[in-house]
Amino acid sequence: MTENLQRPEETIALEVAGLTKRFGSYTAVAEVSFRVGRGEIFGFLGPNGAGKTTTIKMLAGLLRPDNGDITICGHRMAADPAACKKLTAYIPDRPYLYEKLTGYEFLQFVASLYSLPRQQFDRINHYLQLFDLLDWQHHLIECYSHGMKQKIIMTAAFMLDCPLIVVDEPMVGLDPKSARIVKELLKNHARQGNSIFLSTHSLEIAEELCDRIGIIVHGELRSLGTLESLRREARLENSGLEEIFLELTGADELTAIIAALKGENR
Amino acid sequence: MRLRLLTPFLRTMRNRFFPAGTVPVKSLAVGLFGLLVCLVLYLVSLKVVGYFHRQSELGVILSLKIFQMAWIIMFAMLIFSCMVTSVSTLFLSRDNEIIVAAPVTPAEIYFMRYLTTTFYTAWMMVVFSLPVFGAYGRVFQAGIFYWPLLIICLAATALIASGIGMALTVVLVRFFPARQTKDIIFYLSLCFGIFIYIIFRLLRPEDLVNPDKYAQFVEYLSAISQPAGPYVPAAWSANLLSIYLLDRQIDWLLLALLAVGAPSLFFIGEWLMQQFFLTGYTRSQESFGGFRPFTRRSRYRPGAAGWIFRKESKTFLRDSAEWSQLFMIAALVVVYLYSFKALPVERSPMQTEYVTNLISFLNVGMTGFIITSLAGRFVFPAVGAETPAFWLIHSSPLSINRFLLYKFLFYLAPFTLLSLLLVVTSDALLAISGPMWWFSVIASLVICWTVVGMAVGFGAHYADFKAENRAAALGGMGALLFLFTAMSVVFLIIAGGALPMYHFMRHWIAGREIHLAHRAALLAWLAGSLLLGGLSVGFFWRKGCRSLTG
Repeated sequence: MTENLQRPEETIALEVAGLTKRFGSYTAVAEVSFRVGRGEIFGFLGPNGAGKTTTIKMLAGLLRPDNGDITICGHRMAADPAACKKLTAYIPDRPYLYEKLTGYEFLQFVASLYSLPRQQFDRINHYLQLFDLLDWQHHLIECYSHGMKQKIIMTAAFMLDCPLIVVDEPMVGLDPKSARIVKELLKNHARQGNSIFLSTHSLEIAEELCDRIGIIVHGELRSLGTLESLRREARLENSGLEEIFLELTGADELTAIIAALKGENR
Repeated sequence: MRLRLLTPFLRTMRNRFFPAGTVPVKSLAVGLFGLLVCLVLYLVSLKVVGYFHRQSELGVILSLKIFQMAWIIMFAMLIFSCMVTSVSTLFLSRDNEIIVAAPVTPAEIYFMRYLTTTFYTAWMMVVFSLPVFGAYGRVFQAGIFYWPLLIICLAATALIASGIGMALTVVLVRFFPARQTKDIIFYLSLCFGIFIYIIFRLLRPEDLVNPDKYAQFVEYLSAISQPAGPYVPAAWSANLLSIYLLDRQIDWLLLALLAVGAPSLFFIGEWLMQQFFLTGYTRSQESFGGFRPFTRRSRYRPGAAGWIFRKESKTFLRDSAEWSQLFMIAALVVVYLYSFKALPVERSPMQTEYVTNLISFLNVGMTGFIITSLAGRFVFPAVGAETPAFWLIHSSPLSINRFLLYKFLFYLAPFTLLSLLLVVTSDALLAISGPMWWFSVIASLVICWTVVGMAVGFGAHYADFKAENRAAALGGMGALLFLFTAMSVVFLIIAGGALPMYHFMRHWIAGREIHLAHRAALLAWLAGSLLLGGLSVGFFWRKGCRSLTG
């Protein structure tokens, strides 16, 4: 369904330039710019309140930026939001759904919003089976657990098969098996030439999945690059992402706090 | 210790009405508006009660019977309302997870819920009944103790009603899951409301102004409205105040019963809470009907419009709090149409044809106001009813404009049908045909479509995605503004048609020739109404779209 919107010559799936969002006098996102290539998994990290969710909401077309541009597969969000949204599947961190629909009806509803052809819709069985939701698909969503709701949103996102998936905290509420499946599905989706913009607090997930990582602090993009380049930037050549993250986000006070806690335990 | 659980309630109230660092302009405006409503209620009650009081002995008796009936109806309404609310506050409240997990006894929780539930269910009735009962004091020239006695009676009646309602709820939830109990109580209270409404209508209050039936009516009323005996706490209040109004005597026994009743019921409720709360709370966490497949698989067909309609209807029909309102609408329609059947047009000094046509004309306005209030209840909250799941629509390729259009189209059909049902049936009961029939149908359609369109636009602009349910959205400022604006537009459309229709009908009924100017004036009214409707819808629709796109 998205073939006619995709431009084969386009090698950039997502381009963000000078993205800024202010709430009153508070600047939540300031002049953020980056690109996500085709087939790339891009990790977006940052401490609480750094501007991750605000950025993601702008990418999904839920918030209008005050300045800057978002381009998805060559379509500008400001000029053609419908085309951009058709090319993007969004997975929010909190699974707010229509509680009085069944899971299957919810998927039908999402498919209808994206004008999905019937053959493509029929692929949901594969994902429902993967997520152990086949037996629950005709039950009302109001009786689903948090994890089941998250899995039905995942099913919807993979069903759409969009060239870009924007995902906020993908593993929250998922059991280990489902988390493993989601990781494999994301990798597989990227291998097929699609892109994933992934925001997470889990540094293990970022380390395992992401080709490149952007770190946002106080609304500004502090660092951007592969894990190797971030290591060099933090001058922590043999360290894991946790140390690099703490170093780059300026959590200097953390050392003192950890020392104090260790002192308390003694 | 018991007061600590009240802190969130008190702080929330303070932050809501007196936000730190700002002058509470909004709260003051709401307060002033409330005072104004109280003043109007007081003056109207003064006039009505005064009128009865002046009609010799019979009038005094009649006014006191109405006084006693009002107390008993208010008491019954308070019990039902308290039961519905207390299922939510006691068992389904979101803060239960924090409070019940904390080292707090059920007795402490009961104390907090008892006070907050009483406040939620009774404040409006207490505030707005004060001026009505106050008017009785003025008309009967009651002594100085009437006011403190009235306040004591109101507070005691509200607290006793809460005590009964909450104790019953705790016991009921012990046996049924909370959601089911809430539905059962809700249907019961709805039936009670409809019963009172239909009974009141069938009493034919218009006969009060018919001297032929006056004595018969009073006899009937006094027969059915005897105070419900010594066991109904509302009758204690009504009798205590009636005796004081008539003889300036305080019945100390009744006063003592009121004073002892509230705390006794509270302690009984508290004991029941200690016995049954945890079992009830456990049951309340069971999903209602969640463990069975809900529907059979239907084939997927592409097309957003069809699926928005299906989602809207499924969500509505699967939520008992929503579809049960249809009973209320059915009762409203029956009573509304019954009123036309019962109209004594033949007793009018004017020619019957003039009167029926005039009523038919005014009926268009009445239908418009009914459609407006129903649109306020169902269409205005429709966008907010998407709940936080609205992210799905917002992030999809479907434009907000088109989404609102589908919502509008979904509600247009039932509202058009209802509007036509009210107008065409009442026209038939009044034996209206010819130009007035056409006028009433066309005007009601223009009004209906305008009002539904405005409700969608207003609803989008003031969408509250966090509202617990559609009814909750009605309490907001947006709903009030919608009702006020839409009713003004309805009034303008009707008022604009009054003069051209008057001239037209005068000639038509007299069998005189209808001039071109008469037809032109009506056409101009129609064009003007369409323009006004279109502009109103367009303006608020655009505002709504802009708010949603952020």
